[in-house]
Amino acid sequence: MGNAASGLPPPGGNSPSDNQNNKEKKEEKKKWEPPLPTRVGKKKKRGPDAASKLPAVYPTTRCRLRLLKMERIKDYLLLEEEFVQNQERLKPEATRDERNEEERSKVDDLRGSPMAVGSLEEIIDDDHAIISTASGPEFYVSIMSFVDKDLLEPGCQVLLHHKTQSIIGVLQDDADPMVSVMKLDKAPTESYADIGGLEQQIQEIKESVELPLTHPELYEEMGIKPPKGVILYGVPGTGKTLLAKAVANQTSATFLRVVGSELIQKYLGDGPKLVRELFRVAEEHAPSIVFIDEIDAIGTKRYDSTSGGEREIQRTMLELLNQLDGFDTRGDVKVIMATNKIESLDPALIRPGRIDRKIEFPLPDIKTKRHIFRLHTSRMSLAEDVDLEEFVTAKDDLSGADIKAVCTEAGLLALRERRMRVTKADFSAARERVLYRKNEGLPEGLYL
Amino acid sequence: MSKAESTIAVPAQDPKKKKDEEKDKVDGPSKVNGDAKEGEDLVSSEEDLQLRNELEMLVERLKESNTELYRPALETLRTLIRTSTSSMTSVPKPLKFLRPHYPDLQALFETWPASEDKSLFADILSCLAMTYSDTQPRGTLRYRLVSASLRPPSSPLSDPGSWGHEYVRHLAAELGEEYTAREERGEEEAQKESKVVGTIQDLHSLGMECATFLLRHNAEPDAVDLMEELEIVERIVELVDENTFGRVCQYMIRCVNFLPPPDDVTFLRTIHKIYIKHQRFPEAMSMAIRLGDPELIREDFNAPGNPVMKRQLAFLLARAQVPYEWLQKPTDEDGDIAEDAEEEDMPEDLVECLSNTRLSAHFKEFGKELGVLEPKSLEDVYKSHLETTRPGTTANIDSARANLAGTFVNAFVNAGFGNDKLMVEAEEGSSWIYKNKDHGMMSAAASLGLSLLWDTDVGLSHVDRYTYSSEEYIKAGSFLAIGLLSTGVRTEADAPLALLGEHVDNKSVPLKLSAIMGLGLAYCGSHREDILALLLPHVADEGVSMEIASLSALALGFIFVGSGNGEVAGTILQTLMEREDKALDEKWARFMALGLALLYVGLQDQSDATLETLKAISHPIAKQAQVLVDVCSFAGTGNVLKVQEMLHHCEDHINTSKGKEKEKEKEDNKDENKDEAKKEDAKLDDTFQAFAVLGIALVAMGEETGAEMSLRVFNHLMHYGEPIIRKTVPLALGLVSASNPQLNILDTLSKYSHDNDLQVALNAIFAMGLIGAGTNNAKLMQLLRQLAGYYQKEPDCLFTVRIAQGLVNMGKGTISINPFFCDRNIMSRTGIAGLLATLMAFTDAKSFILDKYHWMLYFLTPAMAPRFLITLDEELNSKPVSVRVGQAVDVVGQAGKPRTISGFQTHTTPVRLGTTERAELATEEYIPYAPVLEGFVILRKNPGWETEDRMEV
Repeated sequence: MGNAASGLPPPGGNSPSDNQNNKEKKEEKKKWEPPLPTRVGKKKKRGPDAASKLPAVYPTTRCRLRLLKMERIKDYLLLEEEFVQNQERLKPEATRDERNEEERSKVDDLRGSPMAVGSLEEIIDDDHAIISTASGPEFYVSIMSFVDKDLLEPGCQVLLHHKTQSIIGVLQDDADPMVSVMKLDKAPTESYADIGGLEQQIQEIKESVELPLTHPELYEEMGIKPPKGVILYGVPGTGKTLLAKAVANQTSATFLRVVGSELIQKYLGDGPKLVRELFRVAEEHAPSIVFIDEIDAIGTKRYDSTSGGEREIQRTMLELLNQLDGFDTRGDVKVIMATNKIESLDPALIRPGRIDRKIEFPLPDIKTKRHIFRLHTSRMSLAEDVDLEEFVTAKDDLSGADIKAVCTEAGLLALRERRMRVTKADFSAARERVLYRKNEGLPEGLYL
Repeated sequence: MSKAESTIAVPAQDPKKKKDEEKDKVDGPSKVNGDAKEGEDLVSSEEDLQLRNELEMLVERLKESNTELYRPALETLRTLIRTSTSSMTSVPKPLKFLRPHYPDLQALFETWPASEDKSLFADILSCLAMTYSDTQPRGTLRYRLVSASLRPPSSPLSDPGSWGHEYVRHLAAELGEEYTAREERGEEEAQKESKVVGTIQDLHSLGMECATFLLRHNAEPDAVDLMEELEIVERIVELVDENTFGRVCQYMIRCVNFLPPPDDVTFLRTIHKIYIKHQRFPEAMSMAIRLGDPELIREDFNAPGNPVMKRQLAFLLARAQVPYEWLQKPTDEDGDIAEDAEEEDMPEDLVECLSNTRLSAHFKEFGKELGVLEPKSLEDVYKSHLETTRPGTTANIDSARANLAGTFVNAFVNAGFGNDKLMVEAEEGSSWIYKNKDHGMMSAAASLGLSLLWDTDVGLSHVDRYTYSSEEYIKAGSFLAIGLLSTGVRTEADAPLALLGEHVDNKSVPLKLSAIMGLGLAYCGSHREDILALLLPHVADEGVSMEIASLSALALGFIFVGSGNGEVAGTILQTLMEREDKALDEKWARFMALGLALLYVGLQDQSDATLETLKAISHPIAKQAQVLVDVCSFAGTGNVLKVQEMLHHCEDHINTSKGKEKEKEKEDNKDENKDEAKKEDAKLDDTFQAFAVLGIALVAMGEETGAEMSLRVFNHLMHYGEPIIRKTVPLALGLVSASNPQLNILDTLSKYSHDNDLQVALNAIFAMGLIGAGTNNAKLMQLLRQLAGYYQKEPDCLFTVRIAQGLVNMGKGTISINPFFCDRNIMSRTGIAGLLATLMAFTDAKSFILDKYHWMLYFLTPAMAPRFLITLDEELNSKPVSVRVGQAVDVVGQAGKPRTISGFQTHTTPVRLGTTERAELATEEYIPYAPVLEGFVILRKNPGWETEDRMEV
């Protein structure tokens, strides 16, 4: 329903015209109408309406009892469907379409157009409220009778009549547009098959992130709470982000990705707010996975700082702490963080309970190196003399990214000479270059 | 099993294969450029390759002709498969590598001659078949059975558990599938289709093996599910042991509500057997009560040798209002003699426990402990200083109505304590009775009975002086009071019968009526034959008015609730057939139908004959009776089919135009007109729809899922329904959640209480009273105060608001009207009867409650039960211990031993328990006799308990 204004008659009650008729009748009967009790203007819990919510089913383990309960719910839903369909069919034609049509157009007339958007500051009584508009001033205005008062709550966005400024509707979806950007619409192309090695890591991340979302009953059976999140750490270029991409590629859960630095905002309080929004959206779209890359941008150890900016960043982190393991329980939201400086992170951030699993990404061992080489060279045309084993067994501290760089570099060298094949010489040269660049800036051999 | 297949097989390094890895490093020459196989499976590593080669070699060996090598090859294969460990996210390696060879092996298998090797081979194939379950269903089961059949009987096949947990689960799933297939399509055909050999017996015995394994590995739900699918759940009794039976039974109890009719009884009986086997008599007894089987109850009652345990059982029976006669031997022909003989056998205190004699004393003591013994005045309840009244509008309040409301509020609030200021403690002559007029006096006098509830000694002497009153109404009220105060309590003297019996034939209608109802209430659920003889003539007699006949029928319904008594049913049916249409058109007829229906509460199919007979009656009352009988017999079962049936009843929009006219006339409150209108559309009676709505609630209230879903149904009914349906929906809501003020229901009712249709509003207000009955819920009280202000000018609504306020404070928050007890497992039939009769009076509130028959509110009395926990020592004296009280948590099917209560507080007994609350002992010093801490619980000193050593300072 997104941004639909809610002027429609609420379901469950009788239709507006009935109301009117009855009211007229009542007014004839007695002069004084007792006041309706005020039930509006209170903050409500989010989520579906209590009346239409389906009951929770326990136990969560896989068993017949659960099946039976689910079936019971289904039976009831079928009954409802049958009943409602029959009733709709039985309804006289006139009441169904024409009258509705008429009333809708009347409501539209009352609304007028264009409509202004303002925010509700305070509800005074059942028919009046104080609103503020973007241009600044606040108004005391009336609330039209066709507005669903249950949706009105302080701080929400409301539609205003362009002349009288009276409230004519409520705008419901108020998620921060920043957050919707983070939602991943297109899955990345990298899959698990594109990862060389890292089998241990893949298994761990699957166990702690994917399985809890797809098979929660396994954990229930064992009597443990599934981990809430994982942190991926290791030297640069070892495939942390790649793995996260693969997870996003694989999962059908909502994948929200954000970079630590994005959470640092210009204005005070905006950063924490963004974190809150992020997790709120995540919960709304649960099951979901939140991936925070380069967490060290906000997650560094706290220290006494006089700089307002520093402090703001720390507050952002504190909000993150709260969202991870605070007072509210997060449902099916899993968090993946990635950093290459785990030692600089605040210990509170990575304590068990917030981040239950720490997955290290080491430099590839020989086997993995071989694998990575194979991955990257599988689409290159290599000359006969190329023996990758030589590079694999060399005792260089090559990371996955370095290997990729070597292969690319070798390809580029070959391209430079317009050769169709990459030779061993290319590889050697490329390796020299990459290694040289890698150690650049380090005072090599100073202490020798 | 399915999870291993459903996940994508990502090869993950098995940590156990370290040795292989090392080997690899030694002989790992360049395979970088890869061969053809590498291309198709890029990620497989060297140690995998080695494993694969080994497996392939073994498979080849099987294909060779050298039979001697078969044995070792098969053995190696088996060890390889068995020792492989897998992660949760992938298929075990050997299975993965052998998968391509499976069709070959299958073909090979067929060529082998029968031998022990072949059996071993089949065993392995059975495991491999797990990977092919999607294309070749039930392969695992097939090979397992083949393997078993090939074995010589001397060395039976190894336990299925040796192949691991997944295998057993897989097997269990296939067993279920196969069994269902055979059931559906006949044995032969199904066998042909799935190629599974073996008879049903084989399946059963294999099922037993699997269940044994599952039970041993903490998978009790799986075991029960398997046995249920194979329809041998009775045999689980053989399998469970000391450690597992508790969890098995808990799980089974939860399942009962969801099973189709024949199965649920089987389950209950099985649970009962298990409990008896393990000497858990209170639990067994609760099952027997649920089954409503007199013989089983008697057996259970006589089973324990421990006299203290017997007393505990007696408390349970007393709470369930099980007829005393059920405990006697059936061989005795003459009722009186049997009673005497039995009483000699039973010690006096046991009889006391059974007949609730000490309930009143305990209840008063409980009130004292809680500090609520002091009587509450009306103003304490109304708190009208908090009401939002407009000044100057309080002029014309109907003071007679207010006083009447006061009567009821006073009675409900001070119920059971016997010390209210208006009636019992009132000074001579200034009793509240005299502030009422005519029929008001009757209710006022009867309120004495509620005030002195359960207190037969003091109560009777108190009421006695009013029985000599010259005022007819007071006299009638006192008769009712006699009945009320002995509700649920049995006395040796049989006072109600002695005092009221003679007045049943009284000339005066009020006296007669109240004597009849008094008897009905006093002996509610007792199945007393001697009262049958007293009341039945009044039902059958065509000379008496419909009023008397109907209420006699209702009284009989109360007394014989859930008995299926043929004599009563026959007489009522006879009356329905023979009475003139005009008589049956009267508003009273519904109580006759209810009386009939109550006989069948909880009897399920046993009401079929009656339903058939009712179909033969042409008058619309028959339809109403049908609906009532139908829903009553399935009360609390959660049967969806019944709900559907009822919903169908509600679908028709009967005489829409006339209905509205009728409504208008009702509003005008002209009785004659209404009767005329009724005559006009006699053929199109829609009252049964109201009963159908109540019926949905009645059927659904038995289990939580259904109850929650029914709320949605009511929402739709409210939206689409005719006025008759709309005004019943709030009542149904009240029934579904009696004494359990859930917030969402509260909100809904609060919305309905401002409905334009005053009838709906009125019923919603009363329903608010029902859902909050005896809870002192502050939010509810606030809402009601608002309503009191809102409906200042509507005397009817204001009256109902007052009543609701009284209900919410019922017994000053110590009494509940929820018909479910013993951890909400057992439905109290008398409770249902009480609730239903009250609601029946509200389906046409204008002509009953708001007319002269407000005393019908006292119909609630049989449903009223104290919600306390009192711990007693073995001498039955109260013994304060500390207990934890908290919200009950559903822990069925969860691993380990999770807490059964959450958010608990520690108190010292006696304590008050909410509807959704549960208690557990906080000390280990005592062991309770009853598993469920509710009502009276006897404690035994724990012999192994030692006082914690205190450090001497």
